[in-house]
Amino acid sequence: MTRRRWQGTLALLAIAAGTHLLVVWAIPRLIMRKVLSTTPAQLGSPGSTERVYFPPMTDATQRRIVMPSPDLLYATCVFDVSRRPLRIQADPRLSGYWSVAAYAANSDNFFVVNDRQLAGQPLDLLLVGMQRAPAGTVMPPGARVVVAPSDKGLVLMRVLVGDYATEKAMLEPARRTFRCEPLP
Amino acid sequence: MNADRVPAKPSILAGGQAAPCWPRAWVAAGIVVGGIALGAASAWLVLKNPWSAQSVRAGAWKTSTVTGSVDADPYTRARVAVGGLLALSREETLYYVADRDDAGRPLRSGCGYRIEGTPPPARWWSITAYADDFFLFPNEAHRYSLNGSTAQLDAKGHFALLTGPNDPNPPGAATPTHWLPTPGDRGLMFTLRLYNPGPALVATPSVLVPPSIERVGACP
Repeated sequence: MTRRRWQGTLALLAIAAGTHLLVVWAIPRLIMRKVLSTTPAQLGSPGSTERVYFPPMTDATQRRIVMPSPDLLYATCVFDVSRRPLRIQADPRLSGYWSVAAYAANSDNFFVVNDRQLAGQPLDLLLVGMQRAPAGTVMPPGARVVVAPSDKGLVLMRVLVGDYATEKAMLEPARRTFRCEPLP
Repeated sequence: MNADRVPAKPSILAGGQAAPCWPRAWVAAGIVVGGIALGAASAWLVLKNPWSAQSVRAGAWKTSTVTGSVDADPYTRARVAVGGLLALSREETLYYVADRDDAGRPLRSGCGYRIEGTPPPARWWSITAYADDFFLFPNEAHRYSLNGSTAQLDAKGHFALLTGPNDPNPPGAATPTHWLPTPGDRGLMFTLRLYNPGPALVATPSVLVPPSIERVGACP
């Protein structure tokens, strides 16, 4: 094989390796970006990227996020803490399992807390970005501060469902205690 | 030696013209396009079966110790994004996935399966059937899973679950086994979720006593 062909083959393999790594790196970020941009808003201030969505009980028509659990009720909140911290609160007062988890823009689950860890206390979190909060921001007393590794991401509340038909009257108000509100 | 049979040099055509020389720009473009295509194809091959590379096994079930974790390597992170986005870290939830039965045969929705086991050591658990596109099987009964709340245990403390396109329970059975409809004939996978798993499982997920997955009845 001539020197030129060797050089061509090496260049092809180098480009292939770089593309391979780039695709593997980009896939979770692209998928998360799509999820963040398509999460419907039902609550939140106009023009804000902070929003809470209470999807219906999962069934086979849910095809937005892979492997949905049919045994959980969800509430989701898209966040952007690049300018202001986000206060996350929940007080479902349920005896069964519930949790609140936060996901970074690369899909990492960087924080989770469940009902047992809270021991009956309401959830009160302050999600802050890597940048310092702007001057004049009043931090709510008692709130637990969580640093997000990315400015944008998703907060997901899970509420365990036994029989939705019989528990609906209890579960729906409980999950709607979930709040995501940017600090003023 | 017969000099008449010596082949002509490959660079000389029959008509005595020089072999065509591709312009350098075309060669360079071919290398770039070929490299990108090769890299993208190899990434697709790695990610198309996102649960096949799980490192920890318990019977037919596979899991990973870094799913959903900030410690996940780029490949695990990409696989989870493709096949299990928004997973929790193992301290909160362990996810075991099976795409083969106990005999090592790939699971098909057109076949019948019996899953049997004892409730795993976790605060709550569930087994859900998914199609090979990672979404639930549509069915009129809206039955998608068996879980710690709905499972009926026998005298030995075992639960049982049947899956397949048709209900294998005899009509009017006094105690029918829980059946999950899996219509059609396509790839099938089961996910076992353990919420707040016991500390021994968190430390060593392979010590799970795995529910058995046995093929039953006819299989197209």
